Amino acid sequence: MELQILPTSIIGSYPKPRWLLRMYSLYELGRLPEEDFREAVKDASVAVLREHERAGVDIPWDGEMGRSEMTEYFTAKISGFKFYGPVRVWGNAYFNKAAAVSKLEYSEPLVLDEFRWIKANTTREIVKVPITGPYTIAEWSFNEYYSSKEELAFELARILNREFTLLEKEGATFIQIDEPAMLNHPDEVPIAVEAINRAVKGVNVKFGLHVCYSNYNLLADYFDEINVSQFALEFANRGFREMEFLKKLTHGELGFGAVDVHNPRIETPEEVAKAIRKVMKYIEPERLYVNPDCGLKLLDRSIAYQKLVNMVKGVEIIRKELAKEGKESIPFRRSA
Amino acid sequence: MIIPALIGSLPRPVSLSKKLEQYYLGRLSEEKLEEAYREHTRRAFENLRRAGIRVITDGLYRWDDIFNPLIRFIDGVEVNGLFKFYENNFFYRSPVVKGELSLGENPIPEWLNVALEIKEEVYPGAVLKAVLPGPVTLAYHSINEAYESLDELAEAYAGVLAELMKELPVELVELQEPALAAELSRATREKSDSVSAETAKALIERLEKVKALWVVTYFGTPRGFPEGVILNFDLVEGTLPENYRGDLGVGIVNARETKMERRDRLVDKLKPLLRKHGKLYVTPNTLLDFLPESVAWRKLKLLGKLGGE
Ligand SMILES: [Zn+2]
Repeated sequence: MELQILPTSIIGSYPKPRWLLRMYSLYELGRLPEEDFREAVKDASVAVLREHERAGVDIPWDGEMGRSEMTEYFTAKISGFKFYGPVRVWGNAYFNKAAAVSKLEYSEPLVLDEFRWIKANTTREIVKVPITGPYTIAEWSFNEYYSSKEELAFELARILNREFTLLEKEGATFIQIDEPAMLNHPDEVPIAVEAINRAVKGVNVKFGLHVCYSNYNLLADYFDEINVSQFALEFANRGFREMEFLKKLTHGELGFGAVDVHNPRIETPEEVAKAIRKVMKYIEPERLYVNPDCGLKLLDRSIAYQKLVNMVKGVEIIRKELAKEGKESIPFRRSA
Repeated sequence: MIIPALIGSLPRPVSLSKKLEQYYLGRLSEEKLEEAYREHTRRAFENLRRAGIRVITDGLYRWDDIFNPLIRFIDGVEVNGLFKFYENNFFYRSPVVKGELSLGENPIPEWLNVALEIKEEVYPGAVLKAVLPGPVTLAYHSINEAYESLDELAEAYAGVLAELMKELPVELVELQEPALAAELSRATREKSDSVSAETAKALIERLEKVKALWVVTYFGTPRGFPEGVILNFDLVEGTLPENYRGDLGVGIVNARETKMERRDRLVDKLKPLLRKHGKLYVTPNTLLDFLPESVAWRKLKLLGKLGGE
């Protein structure tokens, strides 16, 4: 399969339509039947999928309309987790940190329904399925049952591997493992690497790995050991500084974070193009994908959309330049 | 004698956060927000009394993290984006030091007056201490764009803290000093400079001349011991050095895991310490922010039961 050079994609989340947020509150209060809630999520999913496509994104997703949060969505579906209540992350932001209180078991598919729905509704050939990785789920959970975080992370890797196998069977071709916490403990990076490798073992799809707002020097030493074909990283938020570590990325692809999701200012296409020219000093265009830094969900919806539009326009500027050199397409690479 | 004590913060109740959110959106008046603070503080003090915690703090309900909002009241500091607080999924706003530091106008003494008033009503038997970040930890978590060295920056912070401490209506001040025990993690950022052990010790001992100090360390074992203070050691993630002879606080319940400790095991752990030191304070090993509120209170009740043993 061939793709246009510099394929554009997303990281995962997208602002939920206001009406959907209202459905979430009503549903949580028990004032909306489950059937109606599910239907609302599906409609929002198509609306956002279309929005990604209209912006010109090559490899879209539905902005995680059915997920309230990036770990709770998974821990709530894996048996063996218990919720004691929210924990603060900063300011007035909380999340429902789960506690592993008994042996964890895969009791139902995690994202299969989402994938089927999006696959059935997209106009694109490839969609990217984002799934929170085993180390991050372990790191963002309490552990009352397993003897170590390592054991907990490997157990989660076993569970995710089952889901990945199922997704491959259903026709998924691109899965992104989200590991925003994998560099939290510099000493534990090898555990995260091993957990990711266990999760992807024997599954023949393209795997990407997303890590953000971290010290990437801690990741760079493991580029060749992680069995994924792409690293999707944040750069815009750090002003496209600190790119030296990319010299260690000699084989894998880079998913280049070209727009900042923590700043409502909309980058111009020319700014995006300039950033891509800068990263091309480190990574040749045949190994580059372009995406936002991270999930867009904290932005206003119209701003998130315009950021995607300008990101694609910026990519088109560079595509024209590359076409002059005869560089117009790349193969869709699966293997690491 | 074993005295159960709180260090630092309590988990901020979701009901209080909701009020704060409303206030930020302009849907709640300042008076109503103040009422909410007082009501939640009252509830916290009642719960601390029931749990048998004898030395308490105001739970830092008015603080987002150990540095904020204090750093907003220091001239020469700008408040920057979010950084990981050690290796936790908890983020603080970092101080960027742009010029010479001095203490600006601030409401912290007044906040403590309010807390003292409530304490006198609902829990007069408790000792209330103020909580401030220590100079060494402040220096390590700052982005230093003004001072020659981190030693000088720590010294400047100590000057600001001394001034503030004089204004506080309490006799005992807790300094949050995890940096005495835990290096700034590479997960936060690459560090370039450090505060020397001699400077750290000297600065804290200088502050001890202003008010009685309770110096709280965690996430490791402190490398030096400032004299004349109560020093809190994290026994979950660090150790108590054999040669420590000063006044002692020990963090023995794990504030980063929900699993409940067994009381008999804690008692076994405390017995030899009690024989050696005669008197000790027992505390959580670190800030209770890392736990869901319900679990934090269960852990405080467990601590309370160790009192007097
Ligand atoms: Zn991210």
